[in-house]
Amino acid sequence: MLNAKIPAGPLETKWSKYKSTVKLVNPANKRKLEVIVIGTGLAGASAAASLAELGYKVKAFCFQDSARRAHSIAAQGGINAAKNYQNDGDSVFRLFYDTVKGGDYRAREGNVYRLAEVSGAIIDQCVAQGVPFAREYGGLLSNRSFGGTQVQRTFYAAGQTGQQLLLGAYSALQRQVSLGNVKMYSRHEMLDIVKVDGKARGIIARDLVSGKLERHFGHAVLICSGGYGNVFFLSTNAMGSNVTAAWKAHKQGAFFGNPCFTQIHPTCIPVSGDHQSKLTLMSESLRNDGRIWVPKKQNDTRKAIDIPEEERDYYLERRYPAFGNLVPRDVASRAAKERCDAGYGVGASKMAVYLDYADAIVRYGKIEASKKGQDHASQEEIIAMGKEVVKEKYGNLFDMYAKITGENPYETPMRIYPAVHYTMGGLWVDYELMTTVPGLYALGEANFSDHGANRLGASALMQGLADGYFVIPYTIGNYLADEIHTKPIPTDDPAFVAAEKAVQDQLDKLMNIKGKHSVDHFHKALGKIMWDKCGMARNEKGLQEAITEIQALREEFWKDVRIPGKQNEFNPELEKAGRVADFLELGELMCKDALNRRESCGGHFREESQDKDGEAQRIDEEFQYVSAWEYKGPSSSELHKEPLTFDIVHPTQRSYK
Amino acid sequence: MKWSQFFNTSIGKKLLVGATGLFLCSFVIVHLAGNLALLKEDGGEAFNTYAAFMGHNGLIQFIAWGLKIVILIHAVIAIQLTFRNRTARPVKYAVRPGNKTSSWFSRQMAIMGSVLFIFLVVHLAQFWWVMHYGEIGKVSYGAVTEVGNLYEVVWFAFKEPWIVILYVLGMVALAFHLIHGFKSACQTFGLNHPKYNGLISFIGVGFFGIIIPLGFAVIPVVIFFKQIS
Amino acid sequence: MKLTLKVWRQQNSQDKGGFETYQVSDVSTDMSFLEVFDVLNERLINEGKDPIAFDHDCREGICGACSMYINGRAHGPWHETTTCQLHMRAYNDGDTIVVEPWRAKAFPVIKDLAVDRSAFDRIIQAGGFISVNTGNAVDANAIPIDKVDADAAFAAAACIGCGACVAACKNSSAMLFTSAKVSQLALLPQGRPEHQQRAEDMVAQMDKEGFGSCTNTGACEAECPKGISISNIARLNREFIGAGFSSKA
Repeated sequence: MLNAKIPAGPLETKWSKYKSTVKLVNPANKRKLEVIVIGTGLAGASAAASLAELGYKVKAFCFQDSARRAHSIAAQGGINAAKNYQNDGDSVFRLFYDTVKGGDYRAREGNVYRLAEVSGAIIDQCVAQGVPFAREYGGLLSNRSFGGTQVQRTFYAAGQTGQQLLLGAYSALQRQVSLGNVKMYSRHEMLDIVKVDGKARGIIARDLVSGKLERHFGHAVLICSGGYGNVFFLSTNAMGSNVTAAWKAHKQGAFFGNPCFTQIHPTCIPVSGDHQSKLTLMSESLRNDGRIWVPKKQNDTRKAIDIPEEERDYYLERRYPAFGNLVPRDVASRAAKERCDAGYGVGASKMAVYLDYADAIVRYGKIEASKKGQDHASQEEIIAMGKEVVKEKYGNLFDMYAKITGENPYETPMRIYPAVHYTMGGLWVDYELMTTVPGLYALGEANFSDHGANRLGASALMQGLADGYFVIPYTIGNYLADEIHTKPIPTDDPAFVAAEKAVQDQLDKLMNIKGKHSVDHFHKALGKIMWDKCGMARNEKGLQEAITEIQALREEFWKDVRIPGKQNEFNPELEKAGRVADFLELGELMCKDALNRRESCGGHFREESQDKDGEAQRIDEEFQYVSAWEYKGPSSSELHKEPLTFDIVHPTQRSYK
Repeated sequence: MKWSQFFNTSIGKKLLVGATGLFLCSFVIVHLAGNLALLKEDGGEAFNTYAAFMGHNGLIQFIAWGLKIVILIHAVIAIQLTFRNRTARPVKYAVRPGNKTSSWFSRQMAIMGSVLFIFLVVHLAQFWWVMHYGEIGKVSYGAVTEVGNLYEVVWFAFKEPWIVILYVLGMVALAFHLIHGFKSACQTFGLNHPKYNGLISFIGVGFFGIIIPLGFAVIPVVIFFKQIS
Repeated sequence: MKLTLKVWRQQNSQDKGGFETYQVSDVSTDMSFLEVFDVLNERLINEGKDPIAFDHDCREGICGACSMYINGRAHGPWHETTTCQLHMRAYNDGDTIVVEPWRAKAFPVIKDLAVDRSAFDRIIQAGGFISVNTGNAVDANAIPIDKVDADAAFAAAACIGCGACVAACKNSSAMLFTSAKVSQLALLPQGRPEHQQRAEDMVAQMDKEGFGSCTNTGACEAECPKGISISNIARLNREFIGAGFSSKA
C-alpha cells in the first residue's frame, strides 16, 4: 500500500506542524552529506542553491551548456501567489481551492494546501534575489488575472516570467558554486541511478563533450528533470527536454504517477509542414481579448477577411456562453480539435482555428478615442488607436507570430492550434517529495505533483520553486538525519561498477545497431502515434492499437536506428537516441494508463466518458485515485492505487456553460 | 581594489585612454585658437608673440611636456589594448558585417590613431623642433623683442603643395578619430544619458569631428592659395 | 528554394577545421533556419556522414543556446532575432549562406558550430547575484521600487546569455553581457549593498577569461537578440569607477 505520508491534523496546520516536528541535521553533519541534483530548472536550481546554503555538499547536473538554459526559462505568463495585494479576496484557501478544482479533483489536498501556503514566500524570495517583476507607478508589484481565475494573483515580468525566475534561481546557484558549496556539471546527462542496499546512492552520468561515463556518489538524489511532453515529438518543450532521468529512476523502482495526464495548450502556432521541429506557444493571455472562430462552412477556402460576420462560428462563445473564450485550457483545446476534425479548420493544413483581434482593436480604439475626447473619430482613426493599445499589451507576441508565420496579425486573424505543453504526470512522490526508492526525490514537473489532471496557468513556476526553495530543504532533513553515519561510498563499489557497465552496454548496443533510419525518424513516428491515439481525445480501441504500434516501433528502433559518429566524443545523435529509447518505453506506459482510466478528467479525455453535450465526465466512484505504476520489466507494469480523499473540497463536475 | 589593480583592468586602461584622449581634445581647441593667428596678415606679429609666449612661459612648458607624455600614454595603452583585443579572437571570421553593425569610424581608431601619430611626428619635427632647437630667424615687435619668426617658417612650409596635402590628410584622420573618440571616451566614463546623448553626439561629431579639424585644415590651404595668388 | 550552405566543420577543439559546402533544395520559406540544418543533418545521416553539431534547445528565442554566425552576422540578418527564430523567408532562391561558430578565445569550439560558453557562467559566479539565502526575504512589497528603475532592470535582465555580443564585437568583448547583469542588480535596491564589489569582481573575471576590451563600436547592441542597450555598459563603467575610487583597500 502506498503511503503518501500526509501529516495528520487539520489542513491548515499540516505543514507547520510537520516543519516543527521534522528531524533536523546539525550544521556539522550537513557538511558531510552529499546531495546530487539532476536538472537546473526552477526546481533543480532552487533546490541545489537552497540545500547548499544550508550546508549540504551539492553536485548539480544539467545536459545544457549552462544551468541557465533549462526549459523553465521559456515560461511566459506568470507565477501565482496568494498574496492578496489587490485586496480582491484572494487567500491561501482560495488558491488551494482553485488548484484542486482546476486539477479536476485528482490531486492531494494536503500537498496543494502546502503549495498555496508557501506561494507568498516564493515571491518574497524572488524579489530579494533581484527578479524584476512588473510594478505599478507607486513602486509596488503588479498583478494580473490569468487563466480565467476570478482574482488577480499572478505576478509577472512582461512575457518572460519563467526566464526571470530561472535567472534568479540560477544566480543563487552560481553564488553557491563560487562559494564552493555546489559543484556544477553542465553538459552532463544522468544515465542511471545507483542503488546500494535499496537506497539511492549516486548516479552514472555521461560527460557529453568527452563522451566518458562518470560515477558520482550522493547520500540522496533529486530528480528535477522536468516533463516528458517531447514523447509527442512536437510539443512546446525544448528540443532537449526528455524523460531519461525520470525513466531511469522508474526502472530502478520509483513508481510513475498518472503518466497519461498531459496538458494540451490551446494557443500555439500551428504546424507549417513536415520540417516542423517544435511548436511555439502563444501566451494564454491572448485569449483575454481575442475571439476564436472558424467558418460556418466546411472546407471554406476564402481568406479570413472575406468571410462575412454571419458566416463565422465563434464556437467557444456558442458552446460556453458563461466563460466564452476563457474556458480552461483542456476545454478550449478539445473544442478546437472537434471543429478541425469536423472539417471546419483553416489555413493550408486545415488544422488551425482563427484567433481574431479585429473586435478588440475596435473596442480599444473606441475607449482610446473617448479618453482623448475624440467623439467623431473615423473608423480608420479608431482602428489605428486600437492597434496601438493592442501593440502595447501584446506587441512581443504579435511580433513573434509575424516572424514565424510571415503574416501580420494586426491585419489578419492569427491561426492557432493546440499543442502539447506540460505533463502533470511524473514520478510518484509522497508528501516529502520522496519517490518509492528511499533517498530518491522528484521535484517540479518531474514529479506527478499537485496539479491533478490539469494544471492552471501560472502554477507550474509556483510548484517548481515551492518544491525547491521551501519544501525539500525541510523534508530532505527527515531522511538525511538518519544518514549522518553513512560514509561516502567509494565509486569503485560493486554497485557503481555494475551500474556503469549496464549503461556502457546500452550505449554499445545503440552504437552497434548501425541501421538505416535516423533517431528523428523513430521519434516522429512515435510522436504521431501518441498524438493521434493518446492525445487530446483517447478511446479504448485507439489506445490498444497504440500500445501494439509502439511495441513494434520500439523493436524496429533497436534493430534499425542509425547513430553516426563515435561514443567517446560530442555526439548529439547518440544523446537523442538514448532519450528516444526511453520515450519509446514511456509512451507505452502512458497509453496503458490512459486505457486504465476509463473516465475523462482534466487533460485526459476518454471518448467513452462524456455527457450528452460532449463534455468530459469524471467517474469518481471508480477513479478517484492516483495511478502509480511499478516497472516490472519490458512492457510489464503493475498498477498501484493511491486513493484520494477530499475532506475540504467536494468534487463536482466542472461546468463552463 | 588598489590603484595598481584598477589601472590593470581592461576598464581601468580604457579610462586612461579616455582621460588622455579628452585632455588631448581640450588641447586641440587651444592649439587651434592660437593657430588661427597665422591667418592674420600682420607680418606674423600676433602669431609669433603667441608662439613666444607659449615657448617661454614656465607653466605652459610644463604642460607641453605633460602633453607629450599624455600622447605617449594614450598611444601605448591603446596599442596594448588593441593587441589584447586581437588575441581575443585567434581565428577570424570568413565573412564580416562591414558597416551593418557598427560605424566605420568606430572600427578604425587604431589606424587613424597611428596615422595621427605619424602626422604628429612630422608636424613636431617641422615646427616645434625648428622653433626650439633649429635655425630660426628672429623678429621684434615693440615690447616683444628677438622672438623666433615661426610665422615665416609656417608660411614657407605651406608653399609646398604636398605638405598642404599632408596636413589636410592629417586633419581628415583627426576628424575620423574624434568623430568616434569623443563619444567613446564619454561612454567609457559612463556618460550616457538619454537627455544628454544628443549633446555629446553633437560635440563629438559636430565640434570635434568637423569644426576643429576643418579649422586646422583651412590654415595650410588658405596660406597656400594666398601665396600662389 | 535552393540554397548553398558553407558550414564550418571542426571535429573537436584540437582540430583545425574548415568550410564544407552543401546544397539544400526544397527549402520552404516557412522553415526556421535550424530546421534547414535538421533536414540537412537527416540527409547527412542517411548518407552515412557525420551530421553538423550545433547548440539549440528551446527554439523560441529565450534559452540562448543557439549561436550561429550567419553571413557575417551573429544570429543572421533579422533585427532582435535569435538563430532559431530566423525563418527562411529572409533568403532568396540561389543564395549562398556562410555559417560559422561564435569566434572568441574565451569561447573555444567544441565541435562544428557548438562552442563552450562556460566563461559566462564564471562571470556570473564572480558576482552576478544578490547574496540572500532562501528564507531571508522580507515581504515583496516592503521595498517599493520606482517603476522606471524596475523596467530598466528588467530590460537589462532580459539577456539570454547567448554570446552574440561577444561574437559580434570586433574585440570579442563581453562588456554587454557583464554590464547587463551589473546594471540589473545595481538598479534595484536589493542589489545596492554589494554593487561595487560586484562590478569589480565581475570585470576581473571577464578580463581573466580572455575577452577583449570595449571600444564602444556598438556592434553588440546592434546584434543583441534581446535589444540590450549599451547604456548598460556606461552604467558598468560608472559602477567600476566608483569601486576604484571608493574601495577601502
